[in-house]
Amino acid sequence: MVSNLIGGNSSASKYIVVIGCGRLGSLLAGRLSAEGNSVVVIDQKESAFENLSSEFSGFQIVGDASEMATLKKAKLDKADCLLVVTREDNVNLMVAQIGRIFFETPVVLARVFDPAREAIYREFDIDTISPTQLSADSFMQKLNTHQVSTSAPTEGVA
Amino acid sequence: MRYRSFLHQRYQAVFGYAGLIFMIAGLAILSPLLALLAYPEEANLAWGFLLPGLGLSIIGGLLWKGLAPKEGVTLSLQEGSVIVVMAWLAAVLFGTVPFLLIGGLNFTQAMFESTSGWTTTGLSVVDVTQTSQLILLYRSIMELFGGAGLAIITLSAIAGPIGASLSSAEGRSEQIAPNVQRSAKLVLIIYSGLCAVGTVALRLSGVGWFDAINHSFAALSTGGFSTRTDSIGYWDSPYVEAVTIVLMLFGGLNFVTIYLLLTGEIKSVIRNGQVRLQAVLIPITAVIIFFSTAVLGLYPTMGKTVRVALFESITALTTTGFSTVGYGDWNSLPWLMMIVLMLIGGGAGSTAGGIKQLRVYILYRTLLAEAKRMIMPRGAIQETEIWQGDQRRFLPAADIRPVALFVFLYLIAFFIGTAIMAGHGYPLQECLFEYASTLGTVGLSIGITGADAPVGVLWTQIVGMFLGRLEFFTVFVGVSCFLRDMRSLTQKQAVAKTTVKARQPSS
Repeated sequence: MVSNLIGGNSSASKYIVVIGCGRLGSLLAGRLSAEGNSVVVIDQKESAFENLSSEFSGFQIVGDASEMATLKKAKLDKADCLLVVTREDNVNLMVAQIGRIFFETPVVLARVFDPAREAIYREFDIDTISPTQLSADSFMQKLNTHQVSTSAPTEGVA
Repeated sequence: MRYRSFLHQRYQAVFGYAGLIFMIAGLAILSPLLALLAYPEEANLAWGFLLPGLGLSIIGGLLWKGLAPKEGVTLSLQEGSVIVVMAWLAAVLFGTVPFLLIGGLNFTQAMFESTSGWTTTGLSVVDVTQTSQLILLYRSIMELFGGAGLAIITLSAIAGPIGASLSSAEGRSEQIAPNVQRSAKLVLIIYSGLCAVGTVALRLSGVGWFDAINHSFAALSTGGFSTRTDSIGYWDSPYVEAVTIVLMLFGGLNFVTIYLLLTGEIKSVIRNGQVRLQAVLIPITAVIIFFSTAVLGLYPTMGKTVRVALFESITALTTTGFSTVGYGDWNSLPWLMMIVLMLIGGGAGSTAGGIKQLRVYILYRTLLAEAKRMIMPRGAIQETEIWQGDQRRFLPAADIRPVALFVFLYLIAFFIGTAIMAGHGYPLQECLFEYASTLGTVGLSIGITGADAPVGVLWTQIVGMFLGRLEFFTVFVGVSCFLRDMRSLTQKQAVAKTTVKARQPSS
């Protein structure tokens, strides 16, 4: 479902709330907006919205996403999808939980840096993406292919 | 070289999207032909619309099919400005053709009428008693499309990424929905819904179908072309005036505010600065007009005087330009009030023109804040807040600068235009009134504008209406970017050619 939402070319426009407009948040918001979705971005600092590309044509809300008023202003109760990508794990967990339990948002995705916390998120039925885990995985993968390719010629000589 | 190929690619997209707007403008020029169903006797005039309409549609269609990128391109604000200016110029130019071919106007007059139509001004050099129904309807349709904005209509027709640059370039940066295309569609739905309701309401208040359609289009687009010489005054009916007032007020309201009003969020509407400003300006002006015309005893009854006072204040502030009476016999104070209202104009993000209430409101709030800052201790911190849509915004200094500059530029243009008119020998009072009406795309006239006006005056007004509708900066940015890029495209080409030539003999 998630891959269909983000990667697929589904023509139905979705209402998506993105929390945190840093490097990742702005990139996501721009791409989702370019695909024709209705996108609302929330960040505490107005200067963060300078990260957004010109593809973005949604709304920007300055506010603390851990406050109910801000989430209500973003009409989270009507959202199809909530992406929580601030740089604070604890904020992410809290906002994702509010979205999941209080606003009953169908799809909640959160970024979590600490792989150890992923288990907690799973308990709350929140999909997570851990950059730390992902980089570790790709490091291992690159390392393995390197080992194979560097070890291959020596084997050939022997 | 790389920059050139980049520019080449960008301009392919620019011309492609401009083509789509051309196509829609072409369809707009063709659409009066629908009236042939009701007036088959005017079929011999159809060629006057077919020629420019089909021409512009075909050119646009070819550009769109040939050049527009398949996967969609996000445009920058500068490219959006280039497209918007190009599309509006094309619409105005092709829009003159019906007036030239079947309207019996010369080029300057046709240019004036076409600009006045697309920019929703409503100043006219056409004699409405002599002209055909097709031309009358054509004028209203130009206002209808120009009021919604050509780019907005186009945006709602495109699927795929394009960004918010087109609508911002046309002066509609505020959106209803968090997605440009959806927002554009909502605007069009609201707009056409109001037009339909307006037509029926006018019909019910005793206006014929043809006049009802025309006046509904012209009122909501805050255009003001009328099918009668005496405008709304022809009917002299309180019902017609009441319906028209409501339609004009909707026309002068920001689309976001209308959306909030229709969805029942009255609280956000009341908090809106533009609504508040309007709620102060209209009664004050109406009272002033009431007393100064009552003192002179211009109108037979008290009721008529009240109606005139209300109607004229609203037509000026919403920049519509319908009128129920002439202003020749008014004294100076109500004239001044009308000029001030025309300069201020309607809401930002509405179909109206003028400086826009939002800008005036922002400057007013800034003035208050600045005055307070001078009184308060040096270290005190305060922020100016305004309500826009259903959101509270704080005004940083960076937001105030473009607003102040715009107002300054507007007043300079107002001064220059008035000076040129005064130079043609008209009294100052009339020049001020007429040029405020031109620049604010209002359309009220005290008689300078007409088929017999000097060519210099008409062209000054044409430029004023165009700049006023596209809010100066878009025109400046669009034209200067286009010239700069065209120069670097052609210059580089020349350089490339000379280097090739220089190399040839040596080899």
